[in-house]
Amino acid sequence: MTSVDAKRRISDWFRQWRSPLRRFLGRTGVPRADIDDVAQEVFLRLMRYDRTELIEHPQAYVFKVASNVAVEWSLRAHHKQPHRHQWLDQLVATGQADSAFLLEKSHGEIKRALNTLTPHQREILKLYYTENLQYAQIAERLGESLRSVRRQFEKSYDRLRQELDPELLGVITHGRD
Amino acid sequence: MDETDRRRLASAAASRWFALLQSDQMRRDEREQFIDWLRESPLHVAEMLRIVDVHGALEQFNLWTEIATGPKSSADDDSVIRLEPRAAAPAPTERPVRNRVRLVAGIAGAFALVAVFSVLFLTRGQVIDTDRGERREVVLADGSVLQVDPETRVRVKYTDALRELFLERGRAMFHVTRNSLRPFVVHSDGTTVRVIGTTFGVERQGRKVVVTVADGKVAIMAALTPTTPDSHQLTAPANPARDRAARHSDAQVLLTANQQVTVQASGSAEPVQEVDSQQALAWAEGRLIFHNDTIETAIRQFNRYNRVQMTVANPALAAHPINGVFNASQPNSFIAFLQSVAAIRVVRDGDRSITLLAAGTDAH
Repeated sequence: MTSVDAKRRISDWFRQWRSPLRRFLGRTGVPRADIDDVAQEVFLRLMRYDRTELIEHPQAYVFKVASNVAVEWSLRAHHKQPHRHQWLDQLVATGQADSAFLLEKSHGEIKRALNTLTPHQREILKLYYTENLQYAQIAERLGESLRSVRRQFEKSYDRLRQELDPELLGVITHGRD
Repeated sequence: MDETDRRRLASAAASRWFALLQSDQMRRDEREQFIDWLRESPLHVAEMLRIVDVHGALEQFNLWTEIATGPKSSADDDSVIRLEPRAAAPAPTERPVRNRVRLVAGIAGAFALVAVFSVLFLTRGQVIDTDRGERREVVLADGSVLQVDPETRVRVKYTDALRELFLERGRAMFHVTRNSLRPFVVHSDGTTVRVIGTTFGVERQGRKVVVTVADGKVAIMAALTPTTPDSHQLTAPANPARDRAARHSDAQVLLTANQQVTVQASGSAEPVQEVDSQQALAWAEGRLIFHNDTIETAIRQFNRYNRVQMTVANPALAAHPINGVFNASQPNSFIAFLQSVAAIRVVRDGDRSITLLAAGTDAH
């Protein structure tokens, strides 16, 4: 497996998990469900799987399970509140303006959070997210060890997790349409 | 350990696992540990999903060109990752030139056409001059960061003993890397701001200079006789600001976080004001905040940041007060907001000119 494939897979898994959540959180108009609730269900399912099976492809399982949970919740919410779409449709006009505003705000929020990282950490993230470089390529370009690059990713993700407003994060990752 | 601590630990662990997943360097024993960790607690699953959310946000993020980068510094070696000097306490060591060159090459290669970009100064005297609509973030050789607003001119002069900057017009925000052996001094008109390590903004408003401190402490010295721009020439003979500062130390004003002072052209300082520095320095983050300001005032601010220029055709509309926080680079959001609070008509002439009219009036 090449590292390019690995990266693509991470993104694909992410999209798998994101798309159903987007439908669930966005289209049904349910207030953004707490990830904790989804996690609880994912956790219970992971417990039911065979450990050796999970170990073979941990990412695939985790994201697939999360995605399944979201799909099921989405269906459940739809059946519970069949009339919801009607009044939602009436709100479309204001909803769109609101969503554009929130989206812009969330980009600003990410920018603010990124600026709390060191310039070096921002450089590493930028190389990864804009130039599509792998960890090893970033390490080579910056003349650093792979471990050091990975460590910077860890610190950056951790910091951004603490910094980013969860509500705005939800807007940009799951959308509000 | 309380819930917050547990979450904090889980979040740090999730970041480690996610970085490892991404690096594609996971050995079998690590995969085992990862699965066992996930199956330990729903909290671990939740934090993992949140880190995935962060990754998703970064994938969707569309302002990367506005993100300044820089080489590795001492701040990257410890657990502290804040830019603010309070946290980046250890004095930065001189970085090898090879790193600087690499940084410049990287930036040039990746972002040739951006409005906001980073420049690393390799030489000792540099001038940063921005046009209307142009904002820059500049990483200086010592790791200090300058956020330069549109229509601003700053001269940089670094010597072994002193870091000297001259704000000749406009405004800039300074995130100063701490170095007690090499003070950081900003001169603007007759005012000198001297710091060791802090974050503050200096703004020239005509002949007045406004200094706002976000973090740390700064000393402001107003020269009794304002210096002329010529005396700020970088080629000036050895006349360190240290001497200048010492000469006027009796006229010194000390500012701490969330304080602001305005120094008049005469050299006299107005009383120190308590301000919300986040708000007073919002311009440094490209945000414009209006409190009962007129549409005309707001538009003047927007026009400084953008190529598209707005005008208001009706005096009554121009005087209309507004409140709100806006992204300086998004005049369209501002217009959309205006349309929601006032009856206006928008006439666009090409992509450089927008005229706002009170609804019911003609464009010409």
